[in-house]
Amino acid sequence: MRDEPPAAGVLAIDLLPMTGVDDATAGALLVRLSRRLALPCRLLPRWEPSDLQPVAGRDQLDADRLLQRLEQDQGDDATLRLGVTAHDLGSPLFTFFFGLARHGGRAALVSLARLRPEFYGLPADDDRTLHRAVLEALHELGHVLGLPHCRDARCVMRFSTSVEAIDVRGQRFCDECASRLPEGVLSGASRGTG
Amino acid sequence: MNALAPPKDQLAILVIDDELIVRESLGAWLADDGYRVETAESGAAALRLASSTRYDVAFIDIQMPKMDGLELQKRLLAANPSMTTIVMTAYASVDTAVRALKEGAYDYIVKPFDPDELLHLVERARERCALQSENERLRQTLDAHAEPEELVGDSPAMKKLLEIVRTVGPTDTTVLVHGESGTGKELVARAIHASSPRRYAPLVCVHCGALAEGVLESELFGHEKGAFTGAAYHHKGKFEQADGGTIFLDEIGDISPKVQVELLRVLEEKRVTRVGGKTPIAVDFRVVAATHQDLSELVAQGRFREDLFYRLDVVRVEIPPLRERPGDVPVLARHFLHRLQTSMNKKDMHFSDAALEALAAHDWPGNVRELQNAVERAAVLGHPPELDVDDLPLDVRRAEAAPGAAARSLADVERRHIERVLAETEWNVTRAAAVLDVDRGTLYNKIAKYGLERPEHAR
Ligand SMILES: [Zn+2]
Ligand SMILES: [Zn+2]
Repeated sequence: MRDEPPAAGVLAIDLLPMTGVDDATAGALLVRLSRRLALPCRLLPRWEPSDLQPVAGRDQLDADRLLQRLEQDQGDDATLRLGVTAHDLGSPLFTFFFGLARHGGRAALVSLARLRPEFYGLPADDDRTLHRAVLEALHELGHVLGLPHCRDARCVMRFSTSVEAIDVRGQRFCDECASRLPEGVLSGASRGTG
Repeated sequence: MNALAPPKDQLAILVIDDELIVRESLGAWLADDGYRVETAESGAAALRLASSTRYDVAFIDIQMPKMDGLELQKRLLAANPSMTTIVMTAYASVDTAVRALKEGAYDYIVKPFDPDELLHLVERARERCALQSENERLRQTLDAHAEPEELVGDSPAMKKLLEIVRTVGPTDTTVLVHGESGTGKELVARAIHASSPRRYAPLVCVHCGALAEGVLESELFGHEKGAFTGAAYHHKGKFEQADGGTIFLDEIGDISPKVQVELLRVLEEKRVTRVGGKTPIAVDFRVVAATHQDLSELVAQGRFREDLFYRLDVVRVEIPPLRERPGDVPVLARHFLHRLQTSMNKKDMHFSDAALEALAAHDWPGNVRELQNAVERAAVLGHPPELDVDDLPLDVRRAEAAPGAAARSLADVERRHIERVLAETEWNVTRAAAVLDVDRGTLYNKIAKYGLERPEHAR
């Protein structure tokens, strides 16, 4: 048993495109995410904090600090912020993240860098990249709303440490995970793995 | 995934690192993955936590100021040998990590962590914990069946006690065990648990007297994340851990009025609310409580709640102190010696008649535990196979001549005393008579009366 999920006072999801995410990608992401959520999703102006911190010695943004900035600087308590960057994410302790969210927090981060087939030397496939990004965003939003990882292989809350695992795992919240989310967050397209 | 592996939320992980970012980042990562996690910023803090909570896995940073990771690992493993320790190291200190492996670490991981590597490491650690706890469970099951044996004795008082345990054990009745310290109150609780249908579920022991009020509350009822400073993650209390089984509350007379109120509510409602929590959790448990104090006296003094007393004192088991059942002493002594002999791989160890008499004559203020220690001491330091009076602890040897040490006839005491003085004077009757302050004729008469014989080696 874990802490109670944050109150369902969330009214909207705000999508904040960051470095390297062009308007077309941001728009497509917004449309796909809206289909999966019952909450209104809004596209916010580009978020480009001037003093982004890299991880020492690596070409990565420090995800811990970035998430902290996103929580502090942006939005209000009625929204959940989703920052999407094309830059690779890491931290002094972890070599990389697909995404990051704080349990019970107000914001989530997703990086497209390692979701792109190009990263693994494969031909570009923007549709696949977007698909993965939506799943990763749902997964991180699940964490924000209090869900831990799920053992159900068909559930989007299953932990994935490789892009293959993201492709293999389910695309919806299993019944148990869905039931632990506040009312009115998920649309029918994200519920139930049966 | 191993079918044996315990659910993640039942695995307690302790992360020890002096760097805040490691504690927060790894702590959050493990918590997101569903584990129970707590963090400590130093070896000292870790040992403090580990003294009251049992952790299955510890992530230990090798390089910390003051107590380093190797030293901490040594101490954690000494306290809990089945703990799975994983050391965290920077690339530069892999040599130290290898040393940690030699000293019992399960594995090591180099910072920064590859998420995939960490995931697999934690999964393997979880499977190892499953094996460890399976081994432990088997051991406990064996113990649970072996231990009632230690409620050994032929005295009427012990027979009555065993009868009550047999009758009440299989029920769900609350039992209050009363006995001096060292009489084996926990053994009675184990015997009751082992003879109940709950025997395959845990027996969880809480020594209430040893813990401060706040610690005891969170130990018994658990706490939620943020319930107090340092409560970074939620924690299951002993009642929840005892779900389906038995909870043994030792030294129940020592708990504060506040905890008495909370305990009463839990016993009445069979529901626990974690410290800082709102929702009560239904728990199925049976209670065995124990005390060395006179609870009704504490009630009369207003120091123990009457309603709680009556809730606990449903069936009372009195364990008589050893001095009130001297006949059980030789039986117990032989029992302990027999068990030791097996574990020491020796044969035919036994006590001399004189040693058994000395044991029976002692008043055993520390009860069965003191007797067990005396037997162990004799077996280890003595001269097997026959263990003699000289192999016993000093105060037990003295009991032989101590006045009023045990109920025995005056003639008996006189005989032993004369025997002893004769031995000390190497059967020089003149000197012995002088020591005893009687004339030689009287002493010869006594020697004849008691049939005392000069031993071979004194001639
Ligand atoms: Zn996750
Ligand atoms: Zn799930």
